[in-house]
Amino acid sequence: MNNNFQYIDKLIQDKGSTKKSLIPILQAIQKEYNYLPEEALKYLAEKSEITASEIIGVASFYSQFRMKPVGEHMIKVCVGTACHVKGAGLVYDAFRREFNLSENNDTDETGTYTLEKVACLGCCTLAPVVQIDDTTYGHVAPDQVGQIVEDFESLGDKKGSKKARKADGSKIQGEIRIGLGSCCVASGSKEIEEEVESVVNESGMRVKLKHVGCVGMCHQVPLVEIVPNEGEATLYAKVKPEDVKNIVETHFEAPGLVTRLKNKLFNAVETIQTDRNWEGVQRYEISMREKPVASFLGKQVPIATEFRGIINPLDIKEYLKRGGFESLKKVLNKMSTDQVINEVKNSGIRGRGGGGFPTGIKWELVKKEDSEIKYLICNGDEGDPGAFMDRMLLESYPYRVIEGIIIAAYATGIHHGYFYIRAEYPLAVKRIREAIKICEERNYLGENILGSGFNLNLQIYEGAGAFVCGEESALIASIEGNRGFPRIRPPFPAESGLWGKPTLVNNTETFAQISYILREGSETFKNIGQGKSTGTKVFALAGKIARGGLIEVPMGISIKQVIEEIGGGIANGRKFKAVQIGGPSGGCIPAEHADTPINFESLNKMGAMMGSGGLVVLDDTDCMVDIARYFLSFTQEESCGKCTFCRIGTKRMLDILDNIVTGKGKPGDLDELEHLADWTKKGSLCGLGRTAPNPVLSTIKYFREEYEAHINGTCPTGKCTDLITYSVNDECIGCTKCVQKCPVDAIPFNPHEKHSIDTELCIKCDACRTACPVDAIDVR
Amino acid sequence: MIKLKINNKEIQVEPGTSVMQATQQLGIDIPNLCWYDELEHFTSCMVCMVKDQSNGKLIPSCSIKASEGMEIITNDTEVIESRKTALELLLSEHVGDCEAPCQIACPAHMDIPKMNRLIAADKLDKALAVVKKDIALPAVLGRICPAPCEGACHRKNVDEPVSICLLKRIVGDDGIESDISAIKKTGKKVAIIGAGPAGLAAAYYLQLKGIQVSLLDKSSKSGGLLRTKISDEILPKEVLDKEIELILKTGVEFQGGIEINSSKFEELKKEYDAVIVATGTITDDSDKFGLESNPRGIVADKNSYQTSEKKVFAIGNVLRNSRLAVRSVGQGKEVAFSVIQFLNERDVKGEPRLFNSRFGRLVKDEYSEYLKESIVVKRTWPEAGGRSGFTKEEAVSEAKRCLHCDCRAIDNCKLRDYSHEYKADQKRFKTSKRRNITKQLNHGSVVYEPQKCIKCGICVRLTARDKEQFGFTYIGRGFDVEIGVPFNKELEEGLTETAVKVANACPTGAISLREK
Repeated sequence: MNNNFQYIDKLIQDKGSTKKSLIPILQAIQKEYNYLPEEALKYLAEKSEITASEIIGVASFYSQFRMKPVGEHMIKVCVGTACHVKGAGLVYDAFRREFNLSENNDTDETGTYTLEKVACLGCCTLAPVVQIDDTTYGHVAPDQVGQIVEDFESLGDKKGSKKARKADGSKIQGEIRIGLGSCCVASGSKEIEEEVESVVNESGMRVKLKHVGCVGMCHQVPLVEIVPNEGEATLYAKVKPEDVKNIVETHFEAPGLVTRLKNKLFNAVETIQTDRNWEGVQRYEISMREKPVASFLGKQVPIATEFRGIINPLDIKEYLKRGGFESLKKVLNKMSTDQVINEVKNSGIRGRGGGGFPTGIKWELVKKEDSEIKYLICNGDEGDPGAFMDRMLLESYPYRVIEGIIIAAYATGIHHGYFYIRAEYPLAVKRIREAIKICEERNYLGENILGSGFNLNLQIYEGAGAFVCGEESALIASIEGNRGFPRIRPPFPAESGLWGKPTLVNNTETFAQISYILREGSETFKNIGQGKSTGTKVFALAGKIARGGLIEVPMGISIKQVIEEIGGGIANGRKFKAVQIGGPSGGCIPAEHADTPINFESLNKMGAMMGSGGLVVLDDTDCMVDIARYFLSFTQEESCGKCTFCRIGTKRMLDILDNIVTGKGKPGDLDELEHLADWTKKGSLCGLGRTAPNPVLSTIKYFREEYEAHINGTCPTGKCTDLITYSVNDECIGCTKCVQKCPVDAIPFNPHEKHSIDTELCIKCDACRTACPVDAIDVR
Repeated sequence: MIKLKINNKEIQVEPGTSVMQATQQLGIDIPNLCWYDELEHFTSCMVCMVKDQSNGKLIPSCSIKASEGMEIITNDTEVIESRKTALELLLSEHVGDCEAPCQIACPAHMDIPKMNRLIAADKLDKALAVVKKDIALPAVLGRICPAPCEGACHRKNVDEPVSICLLKRIVGDDGIESDISAIKKTGKKVAIIGAGPAGLAAAYYLQLKGIQVSLLDKSSKSGGLLRTKISDEILPKEVLDKEIELILKTGVEFQGGIEINSSKFEELKKEYDAVIVATGTITDDSDKFGLESNPRGIVADKNSYQTSEKKVFAIGNVLRNSRLAVRSVGQGKEVAFSVIQFLNERDVKGEPRLFNSRFGRLVKDEYSEYLKESIVVKRTWPEAGGRSGFTKEEAVSEAKRCLHCDCRAIDNCKLRDYSHEYKADQKRFKTSKRRNITKQLNHGSVVYEPQKCIKCGICVRLTARDKEQFGFTYIGRGFDVEIGVPFNKELEEGLTETAVKVANACPTGAISLREK
């Protein structure tokens, strides 16, 4: 057996033989085998200092690790908030049916596909989203799962065959910017990029092809922006590969006479078509100057996301050109550590991770600690199922985050820092890794930074999938190679953190705002925002909104402004019902309180919280009990299980909610639910348990009658499948569309006759209703 | 030294002392389950909550250090409710019985599983000692009891209940009582009116506590309805006489043929330190001795059997007509406890019934788990049939069918003790289906029952500290976390040197010592 595991010997040698290397070693083993074979783990226990108990304890704690072999391809169905409200559950069920999966089995008979639910793929605006290996499918409907599998199989080995583009051309006519945020990539910007490359290569145009980070207009992805040297830039949204040639040749001239003529012809054709309002063009072209887009960006104040859509994430020259590292130079050359801390304190910035602890005070506490070794951790363990700000910041503005970190480390006397990034964010990990390397090469990191005598090295620690690790003491336990169990505070990490040393833990977004504060001055920052909530906050705006995406808004902006002026109102003309702010720790604020300003205090007062920044808009078709149940089931699943109130309290609350949504609720359930929620808040050890009841409590507070309706046996919005039945009304034209879509043959094939649904067979997958052309399916 | 206030009392403690330790120094007990003195605090069970008065927040006292000027409250209603709620949550995932269902069903609350184990080990004499702790007339009841215990027996679901009643009968018939060692006399005297099963039992247990009992009956012979209403075929007189004899042998003074009327009753009250009324079912013209009564009978406290007159107690059918002799016998035992409380001038509350964790019916998947402690044979019926009892061989074999439903940690379970103290309600959070019970018995010195585990982590931490090669580990996380030996190794491999220590440290009966 030993011969088979030379690989593990090497891992132990490379990564270390003690517990702190456990998670990286397990990640490497899983990369090799696609799961953690027991024999490999036994071998690891035998050959390293890590015990069997530690290995199993850790491997079974983090959701990244699998103990069973999986199929050749992984199908990940995103069940993040945005996907949930758009029916991800039905999509998941449809896949189960597609592969005939039995209850305890997630891999199909042939061993080709393994199905799993994932918390959030971060493509909320494409919801519902499904990922098969590296291919992402957006806006998936339950009846499309077969098509998706077919499409994936038809891809064959097309993936990865990337054509190289010649890099010639002295006379550059302008640039073509392609969004490379995760949303864009997921929506197909990779194909667009390939297409642009091939168009440009074939025509020999002298255009610079440029990759930019997330523009934040995720509802319009994939985005292509054409920036000629002269004249206005044009932004094309929802571009398809077949549109590329047209777009590119409209703006740029090919050098050769023949091609130029050809292009002219194209232009003529395009003009004619445009004049006739050819749908093919109108559909996807939008201009930055047009009203909705202007206002989408107009109300926003980019600080963490400064220069978005303009800078290439890893182009350090460009970062420098746009003021990058100026703050760092200022700090290192002209400011004492106290001055830096005072400036940060004066700015009023508070932790962007959700808790809202004043950042300057935290720095001061760490600085005060008299210890030779201190650590810094950039918390990028974003686990909120409806938010992806950290990922976007790490992917698109790696240097800005690093600059903030260097300044913080300098101010607090830290020489070693960690990026704790979810392993589910491979692109962020890759970008940060490259950015660190480039910074080291240019002496922004390493020894004697820019000649200041200050040293700092940064390393990446990939999280292994545990929402609770967003909590700082659990995060620290995780880096130490333990199960992500939080521990009681005090002592706070500032006093005793990683390996018992003083440790500064700040959120990614907090670090991303630091350079702005020092460059523009704390007063400028303070003037943005409201009261004790200064500056800006990045939100992931998703759900039933016309224009979703990442937004950065000044604190104090009202919910209404965000929804109407930035988000363009509710999608599909539905009625605004509530907004869920702060994800699993937050709460729902109903439409009648839409004037509530978004700041730490007012959100808390409303029973929500800033949380990590998920902002999910709900319309009148959303069931509030279902929403509460959704969030609670998330936190219940993510509870580490250490303390009684969270481990069992959240479970019992979920039991009660499950009973309510399945028609087994009884009078008195609401009181017991509130009571238990109250105790779970009061009695839990860490923030996860202490905030987990918020989605439940806030919905009971504002939508109590909806709960009561469920207890009385009806779901007013028809979302809770156990409380509804499907039937056919007299509008039916007998077209059999529903019959063809029904996966369980619950609708007999009777063409030209009014159809009927066998409610015994019906699984309430909603396929018939979506298929019906005349609204003849009733849900009651 | 650090000065702080606990319940408004000032106290000084060494720096580094936890709030819990500081509180204990004042003699205030703080419940705790996950705390173990050889290990660092872990903050899991959350039953050690106290209140920090400065901000009104509840804090786990084992994990917070006492600090200067702190003001701690350990006993207000919110603190008590938090502990109770934490216990109720823990109980909702603690799947196991404390006492076996048979014992709970038995009106005399007899320790049936223990009797069964002693019979199975062919120790009838010791079994008799166990039986007689609760039942003064086992051979009699072994013939006439309708056996509510058998209705509750978990084995009933597997095939048929254990034949408990006949087992008790053979213990009563063939077990030999060890000689009663000299009992120290207390000098107190109690009169018992009525020598039926209730009165006889009360006499027996009081006399054994050194209290001189005068057992009075209007008939010349004792036994009450047992003698008059049951046929000789069912209950031969010599069986009855033999057991009565054993009771009287303890020193009880029986006076037959004495009719007690109201004036005689008044005299008894004066002459004796306490009087127990066990005169049987009352009729309209029964003398109620001026005691408060209702149409069913004399009114007495249901736990202590004290009547409207403090020194008078009432048991048996005089309270309410019942056809269950075993209930009367049980009340005889229980009233002895209250009478002693009364004689010792304690609060008369009766025998405390401890908290009992219960999980309800055994389900199919659990049969095999429970059978691991038993044998797969059908219920034994006496070969000789009819009214004859078991032969010893039959009894030994039948007793082996017992499933050992009672918990091994029954007298050593913090969870049970605190649940009792805080009056926790196990059913409160019965919101979904319980887990199925499994039992791991393949270890020489300990037994592991994972569904009783409350995830305090003491065993995981202890085995790690003591460098077990495998030890225990957490498997999974959250509500579904389980504690087990890594790589599914056998319990023997997980717990080697630490086994006994871990069993003793377990705050409940998840890991417990095997009976010797």
